[in-house]
Amino acid sequence: MTTTMFTLNAFYGLALAMNMFIIASGLNLIFGVLRVINFAHGMFYMFGAYIIFTVTKSWGAPFFVGVLASAAGLAVIALVIERLLLRHLYGKEHLMQLLFTFAVVLLMSDAAKMIWGTDQYSVGYPAGLGGAVNLGFVVLPQYQLFLCVVGPLIAIAMWLLVDKTRAGRIVRAATQDREMLAALGVNVPMVYAAVFTIGSALAGVGGALAAPRVALVPGMDATIINECFIIVIIGGLGHMWGSFVGALAFGFVVQFGTVWAPNWQDVLPYLLMLAVLIVRPWGLFGQPESGR
Amino acid sequence: MRFTAAILAVGALGAATASAQEPIRIGAMYPLTGGGAVYGVPAMAGHQLAIEEINARGGVMGRKLVSVERDDKMNPAAASSTMKELITKDKVHIVVGGLASSVGLAMSEVAKQEKVVYIATIPKTIQMTTDKLHRHVFRTASHTDFEGDTMAMLVGKHKLTKLCQLQLDYAYGNDLEAGVLKALPKYAPNAKVALTLKPKLGATDFNPFIPQVMAAGCDGVVSGLWGPHFVSWVKQAKPLGFFDKIKWISGGEIASHEIAGELKDDYPDNVISNTYELWYHAQDASHKAFQEALAKKLGTPETPQWALLGYIGVHYAVAAMEKAKSTDSDAIAGALEGLTIKSPVGTLTIDPKTHQANIGQFWGPMVKKPGRAYRMMDPIEYIQPK
Repeated sequence: MTTTMFTLNAFYGLALAMNMFIIASGLNLIFGVLRVINFAHGMFYMFGAYIIFTVTKSWGAPFFVGVLASAAGLAVIALVIERLLLRHLYGKEHLMQLLFTFAVVLLMSDAAKMIWGTDQYSVGYPAGLGGAVNLGFVVLPQYQLFLCVVGPLIAIAMWLLVDKTRAGRIVRAATQDREMLAALGVNVPMVYAAVFTIGSALAGVGGALAAPRVALVPGMDATIINECFIIVIIGGLGHMWGSFVGALAFGFVVQFGTVWAPNWQDVLPYLLMLAVLIVRPWGLFGQPESGR
Repeated sequence: MRFTAAILAVGALGAATASAQEPIRIGAMYPLTGGGAVYGVPAMAGHQLAIEEINARGGVMGRKLVSVERDDKMNPAAASSTMKELITKDKVHIVVGGLASSVGLAMSEVAKQEKVVYIATIPKTIQMTTDKLHRHVFRTASHTDFEGDTMAMLVGKHKLTKLCQLQLDYAYGNDLEAGVLKALPKYAPNAKVALTLKPKLGATDFNPFIPQVMAAGCDGVVSGLWGPHFVSWVKQAKPLGFFDKIKWISGGEIASHEIAGELKDDYPDNVISNTYELWYHAQDASHKAFQEALAKKLGTPETPQWALLGYIGVHYAVAAMEKAKSTDSDAIAGALEGLTIKSPVGTLTIDPKTHQANIGQFWGPMVKKPGRAYRMMDPIEYIQPK
């Protein structure tokens, strides 16, 4: 592999990782605090992509207004789901929550069919990001460069929010001991609602940012949810930087793995997850359950 | 228990006495949810249009047609059990449809076991009419050998010598790859395939493949990336100037208006591809009449190509029953062999040996047109097997 090809592949791996991180970090945040495995997260991603399609193509709004609309749209959807339905399932068996989020997938998939039909859509690149940058030895597409900037920015913002603010301290406390937090006078249900909303909005942002690079079709939620789980499991459930590293590992394994071993492209991410689970069943950054 | 038996007995009696006026049940299976719905839903619309038209003219042999419609979920296992249900529970007289080649093969297997005729209206894998051929399976779609043959012809026509082949890694892609390779020596003896890459079915991220193709220095790409695969490839490759220097010769109907109309300015240069149907091009008056009826049903003049295939499937099923004067599976199968019908895209005949209809496709380059927001095929050539 030449330097040019290596650089290009590394860059593409990074760009994929950053797009995936934005989506997976939302799933991870929700699991970390609510202890709910949200199967509907992939569907939230798909709605994010469809919403930006409607806002930019049908209404003619600029791309970044579309990204905000996707985030806001998913925040509203998530808030309604959490307040009306999901909150009744906290503390119940995991199986109930799984079945519930799976039901949300089916409902939203039918809703998407009613709203957008079954046509295939595409969203254009935002103005000024549709070309490529020539670095002499390698040509890089602008939009993927943009993803490589946005991903770390979101990671840093989340880290500041969770680790450096009072709100973040409450969120972290909620992951440790919800009863004690409630006893201290914190409105825990509100914390849960806020976390579910923010996590879901991240799926919307991830879907909106993915929209220019992929075709929008019904069923685009299906693979993404598996990939998010792989990333979250590799990094360690509930650990933000774990998801970041997990996404990087995923991006590079998919990119280089598909180049070097194309026949293995389907299983490589799963093999990666398996390898991590054998060595550290709690993920790279997670802690064993007993250690909590 | 006795109650159930009584109901069954009454049911059997009813069936025996009412059979003269009993409607003919046509089972139709297309993907109506998930990724395949993009094609399955319009195909079903064409299917329904044919049913409505035939019922409006009085049905078949004095009997009304009833369409029993199911979602094949683009999943071979699900399609198998759904089709068995159609046959055993809904008692359909014939099954039409399928989209993915893998699903078509699964449905063909059920037809073989249950001895009920299945007309494959979209699946293209050559296996259905060669290795896996049996008495009860017929195809009214094109197939991978003919598509590969046409692509090789285009490679020769454009004097391409260094090819990159891109195919999806499943039945359709593998068979189309073989079809191209088989025909290359005939049309383009100087052409060499320098690189073959096989992304998986459903892939959305083509970045591992795009740099390899660009580095290989091919002057032509032969591809079977259809629908969303092509769109995602274009979105990821176009910013790099990928399409500036190569000819993209593609099967998989990416010249259809569904894709051109959606991609608009993003549709790249240098694409030569195929489609079953173009709403802006009618062969003759009956073709135009079909397009107008479909436009009325769907509420848009820019109709999708897939409707034609659903439409032809029903017409073949009905023509066979009329010829056989029966709804018996073996009689229908016998009637389909060598059967000629008039379709919107010309006269079609099913080969009695291979059970394959000689349907053609429109082929041509996708070019910009003044005053149009999307690309159109020009010149248009209808290429039909002899």
